[in-house]
Amino acid sequence: MADKTLKRYFDVLEISPDASVLEIRNAYLLLKKLYSTDSVVISPIADEFSKKERREILLQVEEAFDKLMENLKNKQNERHHRIRHQPSASVPAGEEDEDVSYSGLELKKIREKLGVPLFEVSLDTKIRMELLKSIEHEKFDVLPPEVYLRGHLINYANYLMLNPKKVAGDYMARYESWKGGKKGGS
Amino acid sequence: MRLQIIILFRGTYRIFSLKVDELREEEEGKIWAIGGGKGGTGKTFLTSSMGIYLAKNGKRVLLIDVDIGGANLHSFLGINRPRKSLTNFFEMGIPLSRLAVNTSVDNLSLITGDVHSLASDSIKFTQKLKLFRHIMKLRRQYILIDLGGGSHNNTLDTFLMADKKIAVLEPEIIAIENMYHFVKNALYRKIKMSLKAYGFKEVVEHMWEQRERYKIKSLKELIDSLKESFSHLGDILDKELSDFKIYLVLNKIRSSQDILIGSSMKSIFNKYLGINAQFAGYIEYDDAVWRSIRERRPLMLNYSLSRVAKEIGVFTENLLHEREMKVSRS
Ligand SMILES: Nc1ncnc2c1ncn2[C@@H]1O[C@H](COP(=O)(O)OP(=O)(O)OP(=O)(O)O)[C@@H](O)[C@H]1O
Ligand SMILES: [Mg+2]
Repeated sequence: MADKTLKRYFDVLEISPDASVLEIRNAYLLLKKLYSTDSVVISPIADEFSKKERREILLQVEEAFDKLMENLKNKQNERHHRIRHQPSASVPAGEEDEDVSYSGLELKKIREKLGVPLFEVSLDTKIRMELLKSIEHEKFDVLPPEVYLRGHLINYANYLMLNPKKVAGDYMARYESWKGGKKGGS
Repeated sequence: MRLQIIILFRGTYRIFSLKVDELREEEEGKIWAIGGGKGGTGKTFLTSSMGIYLAKNGKRVLLIDVDIGGANLHSFLGINRPRKSLTNFFEMGIPLSRLAVNTSVDNLSLITGDVHSLASDSIKFTQKLKLFRHIMKLRRQYILIDLGGGSHNNTLDTFLMADKKIAVLEPEIIAIENMYHFVKNALYRKIKMSLKAYGFKEVVEHMWEQRERYKIKSLKELIDSLKESFSHLGDILDKELSDFKIYLVLNKIRSSQDILIGSSMKSIFNKYLGINAQFAGYIEYDDAVWRSIRERRPLMLNYSLSRVAKEIGVFTENLLHEREMKVSRS
């Protein structure tokens, strides 16, 4: 995307172009709430600041957020792509190539780096708090059946703007190996 | 006082001698005006506190109290009402620099207004211009002007003259309403004054007074329709309005939820009024504020480690460096 277009999206969200993912999200949530509710800051000018105008602003905000997120994801994919196509002896062909493997702890670390508390993730993803905690702490024995778990992982990964396939893959592999170990042991 | 600068150049000395005052003159005077419309939001407290903060950080600061109704900045600094006031400037032509009195803080001085000197209509436009000219010529690094409440033309003009236009509000509806009123009036006046030199003042007035007829709902639409109808005004308006930037300061917050009002106002100024606005910071409500005022012991000096004092430091730094208050959702 052209830098100019991007700059415009940042302007709509009223943040600087070097804003972090979290700042983008916060700005989006703030503006969305501001222009969709009759708050104390709108009511004194409500008669001159029409609902229609506010709806237009909301649409712009929505678009800006989507485009900026899309842009971030593309950037991330590009990075993966570059790494994947670098000839490297240590990475076996066909295997995922990032240096991180997404364990529960890794997800927790990323979330904390973004500064998002669990309850917020829960609010936005609709995944129960307890379940999120269990995912992060790898309490495999209380996690839901595999298809559901996979779904939640994809949801959570999208929220953290990680590659969902890789997250689900890595995590499920750990889950499988735990299951295998359990079977073998009993 | 003279300052000697010795420069070694290809083996020979060159000695330059400069008057220090000349050096100072180059430090452009920065004029900050503190207003906002509603009475009692904390303008005077914040003006005095910012002044103390800047002076404590090595700046030379002059505070000017032009509050029409009740000049009381001196009490916030813990000193008695100075005998000299702006009246002496208007009536006797005494230079401003001789009206400034020292305060208990180094590098912080004060010029006070009084009820008569600036009473609503008693000063004429030319007198006002003269005052502005003299303020701009003062050799101080920072000049902070306490505007008091209200949206009187004298108040608006002083606000418009300032390099930094600071608007103080509280998180409650009347203050928010008054702030819109204040900023809209200032913007309208700015539009009119900008186009006056081009003979368009009356046109602007006419369009705004008959706005229903022209289907103009807001000042933003007024600006748009001026630009549309008279394309040569576009560049002029853009240029003139580009320095119309409001710095919002939110005082007396009682919860972190209140902080959102600052970011929200900023957004509405930008998106609805088309005005460049920045949320410079917030100060929480603390009984220590009025206690320190009552005891005439400035909070910035006697409770310099309090949260309020820190918050004042933060937003003053934000103002100095054009930084925005970072707000995280809570
Ligand atoms: N952060 C704060 N916490 C508690 N009280 C405050 C705070 N800021 C200001 N006050 C109180 O609010 C009152 C008004 O403050 P101040 O006189 O500075 O307002 P003002 O805007 O200058 O008023 P006016 O418009 O009348 O000039 C004072 O009694 C002061 O003690
Ligand atoms: Mg006051």
